[in-house]
Amino acid sequence: MEHTSTLEKVLRASALTAVVIFFMFPIFWIILMSFQTNETILRVPPSMIFEPTLSNYRGIITGQLETNAATLEINFMRNLWNSVFLSVSSVAVALALGVPAAYAFARHKFRGSEDIAFTLLSFRFAPPLLVLLPLTLYFQQIGLADTYFGLVWVYQLICLPLILWIVRGYFEDISPDIEYAYRIAGHSWFATFRKIALPLAGPGIAAAGLLAFIFAWNNFIFALVLASADKQPVTVGALAFITASGIQYGQIAAGIVLSVAPTLALALYAQRYLVEGLSLGAVKG
Amino acid sequence: MDTALSLKNVDKFYGPIGHGVHAVRNVSMDVKKGEIVALLGSSGCGKTSTLRMIAGFEEVSAGSISIAEQEIHRRPPAKRNVAMAFEGYSLYPPLTVRENIAFALKSAKLEPSVVAAKVTEIARMLEIEDILDRYPSSISGGQQQRTSLGRALIRDAALHLLDEPMGQLEPQLRALLRGRIKHFIKERGLTAILVTHDQTEANALSDRIAVMEDGILQQFDTPEIIKDRPENLFTGTFVGEPPMNVFNASVRDQDGRVHLDFGSGLSLDYPHDAFSGSVRDSIVDRGNIVVGIRPYAVHRTKDQGVDAKVIVNQWLGDQSHIAAEFAGATLVLVEHDRADVRPGDAIKVDLNPENLHIFDPDSGDAIAHGAELVS
Amino acid sequence: MASVELQNITKRYKDLTVLDRISLTVAEGETLVLFGPSGAGKTVLLRLICGVVEPEDGRVLIGDEDMTDVEAEDRGVGMAFQNFALFPHMSAFDNIASPLEARKQTRGALKDGVEAVAKLLRIDHVLSHAPRELSNGQKQRTALARALVGSPPILLLDDPLRNVDAKLRFEMRLELPRLLADRNATVIYVTQDYKEAMALGDRIAVMSAGQIEQLGTPAEIYLKPANIEIARLFGDPTINLLDVTVRTGVHGFFAEISGVPLNLPGDVKVRDGQACVLGFRPETVSFVEAGDGHAIPVEIEAETPLNEKTVTLATTANGREILISRPAGTPGPSSGTAHIAIAPDKALLFDRESGERVGASLLSTVAEGEAA
Repeated sequence: MEHTSTLEKVLRASALTAVVIFFMFPIFWIILMSFQTNETILRVPPSMIFEPTLSNYRGIITGQLETNAATLEINFMRNLWNSVFLSVSSVAVALALGVPAAYAFARHKFRGSEDIAFTLLSFRFAPPLLVLLPLTLYFQQIGLADTYFGLVWVYQLICLPLILWIVRGYFEDISPDIEYAYRIAGHSWFATFRKIALPLAGPGIAAAGLLAFIFAWNNFIFALVLASADKQPVTVGALAFITASGIQYGQIAAGIVLSVAPTLALALYAQRYLVEGLSLGAVKG
Repeated sequence: MDTALSLKNVDKFYGPIGHGVHAVRNVSMDVKKGEIVALLGSSGCGKTSTLRMIAGFEEVSAGSISIAEQEIHRRPPAKRNVAMAFEGYSLYPPLTVRENIAFALKSAKLEPSVVAAKVTEIARMLEIEDILDRYPSSISGGQQQRTSLGRALIRDAALHLLDEPMGQLEPQLRALLRGRIKHFIKERGLTAILVTHDQTEANALSDRIAVMEDGILQQFDTPEIIKDRPENLFTGTFVGEPPMNVFNASVRDQDGRVHLDFGSGLSLDYPHDAFSGSVRDSIVDRGNIVVGIRPYAVHRTKDQGVDAKVIVNQWLGDQSHIAAEFAGATLVLVEHDRADVRPGDAIKVDLNPENLHIFDPDSGDAIAHGAELVS
Repeated sequence: MASVELQNITKRYKDLTVLDRISLTVAEGETLVLFGPSGAGKTVLLRLICGVVEPEDGRVLIGDEDMTDVEAEDRGVGMAFQNFALFPHMSAFDNIASPLEARKQTRGALKDGVEAVAKLLRIDHVLSHAPRELSNGQKQRTALARALVGSPPILLLDDPLRNVDAKLRFEMRLELPRLLADRNATVIYVTQDYKEAMALGDRIAVMSAGQIEQLGTPAEIYLKPANIEIARLFGDPTINLLDVTVRTGVHGFFAEISGVPLNLPGDVKVRDGQACVLGFRPETVSFVEAGDGHAIPVEIEAETPLNEKTVTLATTANGREILISRPAGTPGPSSGTAHIAIAPDKALLFDRESGERVGASLLSTVAEGEAA
């Protein structure tokens, strides 16, 4: 029934507003915090009125962490760069391996294919610490501990299953007839994969890549255990704000804003690919 | 209490009035009690919106709807006393076919034995007796559709609304079920509105057909009138299987004969009195006209008539469909026997002025049907 | 041009046998229609021929060459799909051009080829459009153009008119024979619409449950169906089927409908008391005067016009339903009691148990007294 009254409209609007406020408030508060000093943040009662300062951002970018006691050296920008490098490389490797594998799983049902695909997914179920402890020993023995290569490899535990399972679904959604039509037109299976399957699964690959990127970006425990200071990403680097003389809330907030910005920008940019219809109306249902 | 359903100046907008999509435009129609009416049109013509407004699933943007002379367009669907068969069947998955059909009688509070007898009767008519205890998920689409029809027809309602009721029916059962359902509705004096894009279904079942296009009710008449006297070019070409042959022609009145010039050097000559005076004046006046002739009204002749060349001759068992090259276009003929012509054969066809439909090329409005001028 | 030969083809999916030892030869330049209900195996058979599905057993020969193990791209067939299967990210031009592209043709030759076929199918004005911008009819023509463009000697058409509206389907049905004749191709056409099958096929292979039930010209299949199921699949309205019991009279075998005897010709291979089904198409039934000795009295239930025919549903005294069809506009009763006669030379007799047709399609009605 679409007999909506004015009262219903008002109720609906206010309910929506409440939901938006509930979810957006923490983010809003963090942004406010990033422009405040520790003193104004810790005021009781908290207030939204303050004199904005850029000192938090200045400190992070120049690498000077000013606490009540002393000025500490921090390397947040290096962490940020590490995050970017590790996430981008991990997703790139995972895409290079995962997309062809996803295609194989989607199109060629062979004995045990479901089992292999499920085993890959089950990596996501294992508690990371359980994997990490033996892995650390092995990595130290073969010299992969504290290398970018080793980290990217371990990050595949996060990225590969994700990409494999999401992209596989997108490949399965492409009507096999479209690929058959291209084969019958005289093209090899590889040309069909490149010219038909890949472009049509494009939005799905973008979505999976983005998701994998966010998961890799947010990872904490692998880098904490396997990387030393100069290779740590922002998630680990943020620990430096917990200092002997207290927690630097303002700079944590600024750090969060800085580290969220790239993923947020990426998500906003990729959104149009995510919503774009997959089959684009070529196949009559 | 003669009028079962009455629509008065009904409009439907999706989105703001005046700016949104104008799905139904000022539709007025009256349906008599005991009548079967089909809303016929292609997708997006407004027929489904109209049905949904009658059922109460859509708000009426303007105008009013009455059922049994009671204004009901502000009432919720349950209070309108209508029964509906949905296009997507909407069967209750946890109930068997029998329970689904009987469910419609729940509010009537009948004796269980009465309900059982009614369900058996309906099931026998729809050939679903042997699947009464199956669940919707385990029966075919055609069987689901028959169940959905049964659930609607078993109810005693002021109006039965059937949305694409037979689209999924097994072809072998279609003709038989059409006959049985029509008999069932007529015998009980039910009033039914069916929405369909399939003119075969509309022609077979209904007393009157409402042809819709662009949200406008194009014509509302019996199938015979729509076939013989379509009000405009749209109705003329939309209704009719195979579709009407249509040609552009220019008219000249010369040497006591009426010439219809089809271009490509082809011209039909008719004696002056082949057309009634008023028709002749009207078309000669206009100069350019659109001439339509139904495929079954084109006859092959032995000697007289115009030349045409056979392109294909397709025998379908009970009819022959012939396409012939004529005036640089294709002319389609239907014969009820097996025609003995082959592609490439030269034939002569007779376009009797009595069978011509003449339309205005600009507005598409009908000018004349045979000798009869449209007023 | 080339012939297509299937030898003993068997195809299974897990435990389900979808094609069971099918052998079939399609002659050069012939149009063969594969007709049958969904699930009969028509589409799988077509896919075996084009090479995207492999048989468990049997061989596929194209122009006398064994193609069973040849990849789809090297078989040189053209195919149009039921769901069109256009490449959604390419323009109509690129869609149609794809078979030519695979042959590494020059840009000019490719453009000429595409434009020629597009013109033929009247889609030359939409070549730059993406599939989603095309109407259903244009999509269907684009798919057809893609199948035709390389002039393949074998053309496989998988129910290409299924997803277009009735009017377009009718137009294309009339247009296709000319289009196909010009290409000189061997055509295998899959459809579920008996009218398409009869209109387009030089021969029709009626398939059911993975087997070919009958192979013949449209006339053979319509007039002499091998069994009840095939008789039911062809014709609209469907053939009337009445259970009868064959009896012996002074003039040989006869069967009764509502007490009116119909003489069976001497060459039907039946025995006295055999349970049979009498089939007669609605257009072979006519209304007659009551006094006629052959007349079967019926009660008219409803009249449902169909494609310029008037179809009447009537019931006999013992409740059997009979459909009668006559050209629209011809006189006939529309309600109440009437009498009908069955055209004796067009009725068919089937064995009730096996469903197979028995004997010739020659039955004649006799006056009641003669039969006894």
